[in-house]
Amino acid sequence: MSLAIPNGLDNTVERPGERAPLVLGDTTYHDITETVCQVAERKPSKAWVIGFLISFLVLQWFVVCILYLLYEGVGVWGNRSPVFWGWPIVNFVFWVGIGHAGTLISAILFLFRQEWRTSINRAAEAMTIFAVVCAGTFPGIHVGRAWLAFWLAPYPSLNLWMWPQFRSPLLWDVFAVSTYGTVSLLFWYMGMVPDLATFRDRSKNKWRRMAYGLLSLGWSGSSRHWMRYEKAYALLAAFAAPLVLSVHTIVSFDFAVSQVPGWHTTIFPPYFVAGAIFSGFAMVLTLMIPARSMLGLEKLITIRHMDNMCKIILATGSLVGLAYGTEFFIAWYGQVREEKFAFTNRAFGPYWWAYWTMVTCNVISPQLFWIKKFRTTPWIIVLICIFVNIGMWFERFVITVTSLSRDYLPSAWAYFEPTWVDWSMLIGSFGMFFTLFLLFCRLMPIINMAETKATLAKQIHIAHSNGEEH
Amino acid sequence: MSDNTDSNDTSMNTVSGDKKVHGTVAEFTTVDSLMDACRKVRDAGYQKTDAFTPFPVHGIDKALGIKPTILPWIVLVCGLTGTAVALTMQIWMNAIDYPYIISGKPYISLPAFIPVAFELTILFASFGTFFGMWILNGLPKFSNPVFTDPRFDRVTDDRFFLYIDAKDPKYNQAGVEKLFGEFGSDYIQSVVEDDSEKKIPGFMYKVWIAVAAVSIIPLLIGLKMRVTNSDQPRFHIFFDMDFSPSKDAQQNTTLFADTRAMRPDVPGTVARGQHDVNFRTGIDMDAMASIDGVRAERLVRMLDDDQPESASESEESAPETTKSVMDTTPWLTDNPVDVSEETLLRGKQQFGIYCSVCHGLNGGGNGLVNRRAQRILAATWVPPSKLHDASLHADVYPDGKLFSTISNGIRKMPGYSAQIKAEDRWAIVAYVRALQRSQDASIDLVPKDQLEKIKKQQAEVEAALKAEADKANAGAESAEEETDADTSDAETSEDAKDESA
Ligand code: HEC
Repeated sequence: MSLAIPNGLDNTVERPGERAPLVLGDTTYHDITETVCQVAERKPSKAWVIGFLISFLVLQWFVVCILYLLYEGVGVWGNRSPVFWGWPIVNFVFWVGIGHAGTLISAILFLFRQEWRTSINRAAEAMTIFAVVCAGTFPGIHVGRAWLAFWLAPYPSLNLWMWPQFRSPLLWDVFAVSTYGTVSLLFWYMGMVPDLATFRDRSKNKWRRMAYGLLSLGWSGSSRHWMRYEKAYALLAAFAAPLVLSVHTIVSFDFAVSQVPGWHTTIFPPYFVAGAIFSGFAMVLTLMIPARSMLGLEKLITIRHMDNMCKIILATGSLVGLAYGTEFFIAWYGQVREEKFAFTNRAFGPYWWAYWTMVTCNVISPQLFWIKKFRTTPWIIVLICIFVNIGMWFERFVITVTSLSRDYLPSAWAYFEPTWVDWSMLIGSFGMFFTLFLLFCRLMPIINMAETKATLAKQIHIAHSNGEEH
Repeated sequence: MSDNTDSNDTSMNTVSGDKKVHGTVAEFTTVDSLMDACRKVRDAGYQKTDAFTPFPVHGIDKALGIKPTILPWIVLVCGLTGTAVALTMQIWMNAIDYPYIISGKPYISLPAFIPVAFELTILFASFGTFFGMWILNGLPKFSNPVFTDPRFDRVTDDRFFLYIDAKDPKYNQAGVEKLFGEFGSDYIQSVVEDDSEKKIPGFMYKVWIAVAAVSIIPLLIGLKMRVTNSDQPRFHIFFDMDFSPSKDAQQNTTLFADTRAMRPDVPGTVARGQHDVNFRTGIDMDAMASIDGVRAERLVRMLDDDQPESASESEESAPETTKSVMDTTPWLTDNPVDVSEETLLRGKQQFGIYCSVCHGLNGGGNGLVNRRAQRILAATWVPPSKLHDASLHADVYPDGKLFSTISNGIRKMPGYSAQIKAEDRWAIVAYVRALQRSQDASIDLVPKDQLEKIKKQQAEVEAALKAEADKANAGAESAEEETDADTSDAETSEDAKDESA
């Protein structure tokens, strides 16, 4: 299928006094079921099989690298004095950031009654969870003796005779990321149960029926159940919304609470949250656009959806740009020698190439979305979003590595160089992410059918009442 | 199943054989017709009713008379529990059971406990929402009579069902079917007991139990090993962490370019017991050993323990208790450092940094600290000694003793061994000697070729002094200090020449 807009499917035009349709064509409830279920029911396409094999191989390589790391020790990374937070932490922050879009779309847009979220929220939530899995891997292996990572948990230990230190942002981070992972998982799974019941009811194979039967917990679509379910969904959304903001805030505390020049700033929490949403949306679009055309979902994931997401990218990208500017202003205005140096060093020091890559990708490229043509042409969106993802990785690299490599003690300054294990692990984490995502596409309902049907019902209802009036 | 959708089965199946009837269900194709039917059923007085829909239909709870849920209250309680658990946990762990002092903050510093409290509040509330909802809904429940009808599979696709339970007081199979017929439903069916075909096969239970049982075994083994002792050697997962590959003497290695496993000393290393004790104490230790062996041994041991020589030696040299010891101490009489111009300049610099604040740049005892003390009439102030005093000259006050005074301090004066390296202390000793000499040296000691220059300098200084004196009285004090420095400068350079000559 081509990436061009199918005829009659442009719903980006605003007609005064009317709501733009979010489900296109003469779609019926049954069509929605068919469109979504065929993705999982038909034989896997060649593209899927090839993609899966590649991702799975890369994932295996990731596993091998982790085993090598555990066997050999953290010296296999490029982390050397003074840069003890190298790529593992860069990758961690990168993936956590990506994991923000899903819950944001599901929770915050839900609370704001943005109905266009319905057809994209499921895949975005799945992406969130897989990104959090990737993110969680890195600090886990970064602790040095990964088999003792459970020491982070506050449990009465007979070996240590002591408790974790709750005034450290690193411990807050443990709680924030694990809470976020757990709540996102609950939210995702709960949202999926009615759709899993659809899968169950359509399965012809006994084992498949049993597996989906177990997963859907005996969902029958009873109105009583729906009533409690919707209440629970709204409540979870209300919890997830502040949670999603708190997580990257706390991640930014890992940096901001320390004294390192370039890290010790109060702008970090909002700056990190904006960056997280920015990168998350970019990742959602990067995955969703090819998936949409390959899986034939154009009627459900419409150009309007992409248009809206591009606007969010534009807004958060500008916020991120503003934050970069503010950092420099404060470094000058604050007149702290080390801060001033840290920022001049970022832009013009040995890592200038990373800094300007970041600025080009994060600040300049999203500005193209002011132009409507760019917001509605799928391949351009994908291209810009890939740039944004690259830029956001570099942002974390710039923050982590430039500050550490040159802080207060010039005699300790050093240039960071990644090893092949660093590279492998960055690429490997993508392998893990894509493996999980491709499996999800095959096995789970990638669009929230129940909610999309409810949106359609509303659309039908409005059409009816309009018809009656005229 | 989807096959059934094709066959347009509109017959009313009233016969249900000998199976138990749970209720009656009717199928609708649109939301509006379902809502209509719901309202009518409610108005007809039925209570044990339910509607099944593929998506949440708003307003149906009113149409059916469903009461609101208590779920939010459960969630509230869970959330508050989360906050309480988090705060109690943090306060107990970090302030009571194992108090940590971090950044000088109070043990119970609430702001730092807020992030975790927030996260746990959300976590507990979310668990409350998730599990509360399923429990209130009575799920998971895998066997449900409504599932017996294959047609019912479409409830998760595009069909809407209205159901009246047989337990309803008004229930009567024929009556209900008639009522449903009036709503225009094209499919009406009795819901009968689940037939065993769709039940979970019996062996699955056995498999589950087996899996559950097996999965506990590693946990049990772990727990057992945790609480029992074993006489077997420890199991080494990471061998090189438990036994790091260390080298023995005379072995070789690939780690260093010279292939020697034993590394040569870092330049400047002093091996244990290899201190130059005389150099570091200012005492002739051999002579000392014959006079007072115990004290000599203690001094040497102190050096080896890396203690600053001053630590207890300063008490030792306190005159009121050990005057006799001080007198008999065999001080070094010669400066062990080569007295060259370089040494003297180094001494001058160090003296300027460490001593001049009290003793003045020329050693006259009137440094800035002293002047300040005089001005504010500090009651406990003991003026620093005048270093030119005859009692401090080399004949009565040997170099070694002066070294010891700098190192360990004396009476009111603090020791400087922690700040000044031993070499530099000796350099200061040499410079103090030069200062002493400069104060009562006659002009004849100056070499002939330097005489002219010195005289010229002196004239300049005097002229400058006069100019200063003419100036305002307010600036007089600082001017004095400057000239003070100037004169001493001139004099010392002159003496430096003398000494080195
Ligand atoms: C903090 C002020 C201060 C500094 C700095 C200081 N001294 Fe003194 N020094 C004194 C005082 C006060 C005395 C007199 C102590 C007493 O009589 O109680 C003194 C006494 C002396 C004496 C006479 C000791 C004796 O046995 O009578 C010498 C020699 C001496 N200082 C040398 C030095 C040298 C050399 C330095 C630089 C390393 C130095 N001082 C730095 C305050 C200072």
